[in-house]
Amino acid sequence: MKVIVIGAGEVGRSIADILSKEGNDLIVIDKDEARLKAVTELLDVQTIHGSGSSPRILKKARLDQAEMVIAVTDSDETNIVACLIASTQSKVPFKIARIRMPDLDQDSIIFDKNHLNIDLCINPEREAVNKAINIMEYSGASEVIDFAEGRIKLVAFSIDRSCPAVGKKLSELRDLYGGDLLIASIIRTNELIIPSGTSTIRAKDYLFTFVETKNVRALLKFFGKDTEPVQRVFLLGGGNTALMLAEQLEAKGVMVKIIERRQDRCEMLAERLDKSVCLLGDGTSQDLLKEENIQDADYFIALTGDEEANILSALLAKQLGSKRVICLINKVDYTHLIPIIGIDGVMNPRQATIGKILHFIRKGKIISSTPLSDEKAEAVEFIALETSEIAGRPLKNIKFPKGTIIGAILRDDRVIIPWGDTVILPEDRVILVTLRSAIPQIEKILTVKLDYF
Amino acid sequence: MRLRNISYILGGFLFFLGLSMLFPLLWSIYYKDDDCFALILSLVITSATGIVLYFFSRPSDQDISLNHKEGFLVVTCGWILAAICGSLPYLLYGALPSFSDAFFESISGFTTTGATVIVGIEHLPHGILFWRSMTQWLGGMGIIVLSIAILPLLGVGGMQLYKAELPSPVKDKLTPRVTETARTLWIVYIIISTVEFILLLFGGMDSFNALCHTFCTMATGGFSTTDASIAYFQSAYIDGVITLFMFIAGINFTLHYGLLTGNFRSLFSNSEFRFYCGITLTAIIIVTLNLRFNLIEETTTCIRYAAFQVISILTTTGFATANFDEWPSLSKTILLILMFFGGSAGSTGGSIKCLRILLILKHGYVELYRLVHPHAVKAVKLGKRIVYPETMASIWGFFILYLGTTVVAFILLAALGLDPMTAFSAVVATIGNIGPGFGLVNAASTYSDIPTLAKWILSFCMLVGRLEIYTVLILLIPEFWKK
Repeated sequence: MKVIVIGAGEVGRSIADILSKEGNDLIVIDKDEARLKAVTELLDVQTIHGSGSSPRILKKARLDQAEMVIAVTDSDETNIVACLIASTQSKVPFKIARIRMPDLDQDSIIFDKNHLNIDLCINPEREAVNKAINIMEYSGASEVIDFAEGRIKLVAFSIDRSCPAVGKKLSELRDLYGGDLLIASIIRTNELIIPSGTSTIRAKDYLFTFVETKNVRALLKFFGKDTEPVQRVFLLGGGNTALMLAEQLEAKGVMVKIIERRQDRCEMLAERLDKSVCLLGDGTSQDLLKEENIQDADYFIALTGDEEANILSALLAKQLGSKRVICLINKVDYTHLIPIIGIDGVMNPRQATIGKILHFIRKGKIISSTPLSDEKAEAVEFIALETSEIAGRPLKNIKFPKGTIIGAILRDDRVIIPWGDTVILPEDRVILVTLRSAIPQIEKILTVKLDYF
Repeated sequence: MRLRNISYILGGFLFFLGLSMLFPLLWSIYYKDDDCFALILSLVITSATGIVLYFFSRPSDQDISLNHKEGFLVVTCGWILAAICGSLPYLLYGALPSFSDAFFESISGFTTTGATVIVGIEHLPHGILFWRSMTQWLGGMGIIVLSIAILPLLGVGGMQLYKAELPSPVKDKLTPRVTETARTLWIVYIIISTVEFILLLFGGMDSFNALCHTFCTMATGGFSTTDASIAYFQSAYIDGVITLFMFIAGINFTLHYGLLTGNFRSLFSNSEFRFYCGITLTAIIIVTLNLRFNLIEETTTCIRYAAFQVISILTTTGFATANFDEWPSLSKTILLILMFFGGSAGSTGGSIKCLRILLILKHGYVELYRLVHPHAVKAVKLGKRIVYPETMASIWGFFILYLGTTVVAFILLAALGLDPMTAFSAVVATIGNIGPGFGLVNAASTYSDIPTLAKWILSFCMLVGRLEIYTVLILLIPEFWKK
């Protein structure tokens, strides 16, 4: 597939990296030559220097042959124009744009087929907010990802020292739990492990578990996670993300306190929000936090533009007694650190964007796919075809690529957490976790029967 | 440094290189020569080493991506290994009993230098001769790049290898994927080679000689099948065809690709191409006039010899139709200077490359301009694009290291007792991948008489020159090996 990526920022680069490694032909366009140089150094892609909204540059990038345009520059306008050119001049089948402006909704009529004709609009802030809301809904989890229209959830959480599961083998754990339990992967000291029955759980492990939606709370409780509903939330930083988040939390009846440094922004927030408390001050000031009873907070969410400050202030809030803390972090490099230093969850707008784009691209053979937190693995959802290798045989007899585990099966509204003897039937919806390097092989297995497997 | 990945890739590469010895083997069988056994043995040794390396160092990880440091190491090691394996046929057949000589001949082939230590080339069997020419053709477009193009195993790491083997001051990728770009370049290379082969057949060459000479022309290599080089054929037509194709091989292959896909304008609007043409014409005119008034009576003969020799030296081919060491001083000087120019960037030619010379000259002009207008904002431009100061710095760095290596090698050769003209021209002709020089190593003689140690120094020069300095020299600084 020929793909044109406009904007070589973090999102553009990650997308180009993932897609080119999967065998697609990538052309990356950016105005900044230094960024392009960084891209050429690292990735096997072609780069073109120039503005992505210029028809001349797009023509140079052979727009007429492209099958997908992904516009992820910082400017909404450039992204929209690029997609517009792609659909009017060359009838590119898929156009994806990152659009930040909060007033423009994905469902807005201007993006539909008859107008701008953009197939997927992504608002990174909104994606991140949704993620945070999802985490708070199941407090105790660091990440919650929906599958099968929300019937199955992939829940990620870290194991505390006090957790009863520490030191147990997975096979023992299953008996203890007394139900279906499937640990899809473990991140231990930066490494992603796809576990087997004999693996043991250690303190500070970060687990990914598949679970039926109704059992999420029971599961978290089993692992010693506290699952009380959220009542009090502190937000640090009063940007658009905070506003969006506060609005949604207010609607759920949560008490929100926003700490913001700038007077004018505080006034604006106070105007837009009815029940939330807007505090003018410095979020790293202990006095302010204590004065506002941080010790009673269920969540402290640091959302400023400065990621390092977010991490530090979150740690401070945790030390002062906030039950859980979440940080807004854009740098993927920091993601590994999060479970180690005691931060309970991350909102990563860029990664959310990447996830959403991949989700969209993988559609077809695969219903959906979501990158797991360290980017090396993906959770993939698909429908088992009759002709595919995996149907009609016990799982233990199927040779999967290394680092792949079947997480859950959905058969006629029934959720099955599989074991070695489970047989996948045609038309089952299957969710698996796999290392990214094995994705092309997985795609092959899913479609055609390969005799030598 | 993941040595496992490196030896894995080198293993695959060696296996492939060994298989390429099938072609000379076929000629040897066809002519029923006595070098059959030597070729089979070389093939088996090379491929077997490759297979052993490949299977014993197969990484457990599926991902064999290389970082840029490993890219440099793979390419340099790949070339050295290729030269060692390439020397096997000469050694095993006994054409060159000493390893130093065989290695020199082999690396001279792969680096498209064309400096030879063999006296009495025409007495060699066809298989060996063919292998000698074929190493040039393989080396011309880059052996590692060829492996990228046809071996799927070099998936992700291909990018790093491509950059290390085909360095160019201005990065141009024809297609999004490096394997695709490599394949495209090789296809263009094969198409042009085929045309030359057919034209040479029309000139009365037999198919064996036509193929060997096509290989050595297109690679700007310069090995011939006789001691007398192209002069042996005594044909103005053959001189003409080879002159033309040496010139073509010295043009950036991206431009050839443009021409083949119907983009004629890009050729003439390319400033490097215009510079290359300008240099060629000027040098031909000066040498023709110089010959006309000092050596040869007939003007057409002057033009024929001058054009052939100027283009042969400028593109770093190194074929000869006359012993230019006997030419008047001005002509010799012009040829010596041309040795520093080389073909265009992205061509099969070696040396400094026209593009770098052009940009350095432009840079000099900009500096003068700035003295006149101290407040002017003016940058070095190539066509319509600004050449960024970092690119300029890298070009200057290249230039200095190129001259520095030349000077050091020159001093070492002089220390070994060679006369200044021989020592200097030998170094310039090897680091520029040209072949014949002046003095002891002129077009009518060979490198066989120089001391063994000097051969090793010159072998090193050839490798450094072919991989455009940085790729090899970077391995020599301690910083590279620090963890």
